[in-house]
Amino acid sequence: MALLGLLTAGYFALAGFDYGVGLLYRFLGRDEAERARVLRAMTPFFLGNEVWLVAAVGVLFGAFPRLEGELLSEHRIAFVIVLVGLVLFTAAVQLRIGPFWDVFVVGGALVVAVGWGVLLADVLGGPPVLWAFGLVSLFLLHGAVFLAWRLDDRARVLVVARVLFAPVGLFVVAAVFLRGPVALPAVGLAGAVVALAGLAGAWFALRARAFRVAFLCTAVVCAVPALAVFGARGVVTPGVMSHTPTLQALGWVAAVVLPLVLVFQWATWRLSRAAR
Amino acid sequence: MDTLGLARLQFAVTTSFHFLFVLLTLGLVTLVAVMQTRATLSANPVHARMTRFWGRLYVVNYALGIATGIVMEFQFGLNWSGLSHYAGDVFGAPLAVETLVAFFLESTFLGLWIFGWDRLNRWAHLALIWLVTLTAYASALWIMTANAFLQHPVGHEERDGVLRLVDFSALLSNPLFGMAVVHVVFAALTVGGVFVTGVSAFHFIRRTTEVEFFRRSLRLGVVVTALATPLVVGVGFAQFPIIGEFQPDKSEAAGAAGGAGLGFMILIGFLLLLASWITVPLLFRDWIVKLRFPLYLMVIGIPLPFIAAIGGWLFRELGRQPWLVYGLLRTEDAMSHATRDGMLFSFIAFTAVFAVLAVADWVLIARLAKRGPVEASVPVSPLVPAL
Repeated sequence: MALLGLLTAGYFALAGFDYGVGLLYRFLGRDEAERARVLRAMTPFFLGNEVWLVAAVGVLFGAFPRLEGELLSEHRIAFVIVLVGLVLFTAAVQLRIGPFWDVFVVGGALVVAVGWGVLLADVLGGPPVLWAFGLVSLFLLHGAVFLAWRLDDRARVLVVARVLFAPVGLFVVAAVFLRGPVALPAVGLAGAVVALAGLAGAWFALRARAFRVAFLCTAVVCAVPALAVFGARGVVTPGVMSHTPTLQALGWVAAVVLPLVLVFQWATWRLSRAAR
Repeated sequence: MDTLGLARLQFAVTTSFHFLFVLLTLGLVTLVAVMQTRATLSANPVHARMTRFWGRLYVVNYALGIATGIVMEFQFGLNWSGLSHYAGDVFGAPLAVETLVAFFLESTFLGLWIFGWDRLNRWAHLALIWLVTLTAYASALWIMTANAFLQHPVGHEERDGVLRLVDFSALLSNPLFGMAVVHVVFAALTVGGVFVTGVSAFHFIRRTTEVEFFRRSLRLGVVVTALATPLVVGVGFAQFPIIGEFQPDKSEAAGAAGGAGLGFMILIGFLLLLASWITVPLLFRDWIVKLRFPLYLMVIGIPLPFIAAIGGWLFRELGRQPWLVYGLLRTEDAMSHATRDGMLFSFIAFTAVFAVLAVADWVLIARLAKRGPVEASVPVSPLVPAL
C-alpha cells in the first residue's frame, strides 16, 4: 500500500512539472531558441518522470488486481482521455523538431492535466470543471516553480508563478466543500491542509529565493490530490489486495529496484546541475 | 462487429504496433552496446561515431515505443478487468515485476545514458548501455512469463473463485516459457541485424564516402543475423512438440489468419537464414558491395523480420482462443462491462494514435538513417541534445 502510494505520489510530483513546462514554454520563450532552452530544462528528467506512472500501474495490477479492474473499467472514458493525451505529449516532446509540434506538446499536456482532473472528480464525486481547472493550474504552478529554479533568467517565470498561487489555493478550498459523500472525510481534509501548507511554504520560499525548497513544496502539493481522493474514498483495502505470496514476491523486487531507481535518478539531477 | 470483437481487435492492433517498436528496440540496443564496447576498447574513432549514429535511431524508436507501452499496461484494466479480477494475483505478479525492473529501471538508465553523453566517465557510460540492454531483456523475460501463464497456467490454486499464486518459481519453469522467450530474443536480434544491414546497404547503393563506417556496420549486421537466424528457426521448431503436448488444438484454434501468420514466419525465417549465410563469405574483400544487386535485396528485406514476428505472435495468441487463460478463463468472460460505443471510441482513439506514432517513427528513422553519420547542427529532439 505504501509502495503504491509512493509511486503514485512520485508520478504526480515529478511528471507534474513536465506537464507544467509543456503548457508554459510556448508562452515563456519569445523565440525558438528560448523555447528550446526552456524545454531542455525539463527533458533530461522526462523519461525518468513518466515511468513512475507505469510502475504505479504495474504495482496496482500485481498487488491490487481487484481494484485495478474496477477502477479502470469504471472510469474508462477519463482514462482513455488521459492516455491519449499522454501518448501525444510523450511523443511530441521527444520528436519536437519544429514549431509545428508545439500544438501537440501544449495540447497533449493540457489533455493530460484535464484528464486527471476529470478522473479525480469522477472518483470523488466533485465537479469535473473545478478539478480540471484545479489540476491545470496546479501543474502550471509546479512547472513555473521548477523553471524558476532551473533557469537563469527567472523574472518572467516568477511573475507567472505568483499569479498562479491564488487559483490553486481557491481550488483546494473549493474541492473540500464541493465533494460527494466519502468514506473517510478526515483523510481528504488532512490532504487539503497539507496542500495549503505546501502552497504557503512555496510562497515564502519563492520570496526568500530558496527555489529548491519552493520546488519541493509544490511537488508535495502535486502529490496530494490523488492520494487524498483515493484515501478519502477508502478504496484501497485489504479486500482488493493480492494474497501474501504475490505481495512477498513483489515486495522483494521493489526493495531492490526502488533504491536503484532513486540513486540513478538522483545521479541524473546531480549531473544536470553540474552541467548548468 | 460486437463489443467483444472490438475489444479483441483493439488489443491485437495495439499489441502489434507495440511489438514492432519493441523488436527494434531490443535488437538495436544490443548492437549499439557491442559498438560502444568496441569504441571504449579501441582507439579507432569510427566505433564511437557508429555508437552515436545507431544509438540515435535506437533512442527515437525507444522514446516512441514507450508511449505505446504505457497504453498496453492500462488496457488490461480498461477492457479486460475480468482477467485482473480472476487471475490478477498470478498474472499480475510477473507483469508488475516487468514494469518495476524493466520499464522503471530501464528508462532511468537510458535517461542517464542519453544525458551522460560526453559528461560521464566512459566506462560508467559503457556500463549504462549494458544495463539498459540487460533490463530490456529482463522486460522480454517477464512479459513472456506472463504470456506463458496465459498459454499454460501453472503455479496457482483456485480459491473462492479467484486464482492464488502458490509457486512463483513454477511461472519461470513453465514449459511454454523457456523456449518461447529464447525464440523472441533471437527474433529481436534478427530484426536488429537485418535493420543495420539494410540501412548500411542503402548507403552503399548511394555510393557513400563513409566506406569504413558502413562496412563495419554492414558486417556487424550480417554476422548478427547469421548467428541469430539458425537459433530463431531451431528454437521455433523445437516448440512444436511442446505445443502438441499442452495445446493440441492450436492450429485449428488459430484459424486461417493464425495459420497464414505461421506460414509466413517459417518462410521468412528460412529465407533470412539462407540469405545471411550466403552473404557471410561475400563479406570478404567487400564482394557483396561490388556485386551491388544484393544490396538492393538487403534494403527490401528490412520489413521481413517484422512481418515474421507479427505472424508468429498472431499464431501464438489466436491459437489460445477461445481461452484467455488456457482452460480456465474464456476471453468473452474476461471483458469489462463497457458499452459498444465506449469500446468503439477507445478503439478508434488508440488505433489512430498508434498509427500516427508508428508512421512518425518510421519517417523520422528513415530520415535520420538517410542523412547518415553527419554531425548534426541542430539536435534531433530536445530529448537527445547530445546525440
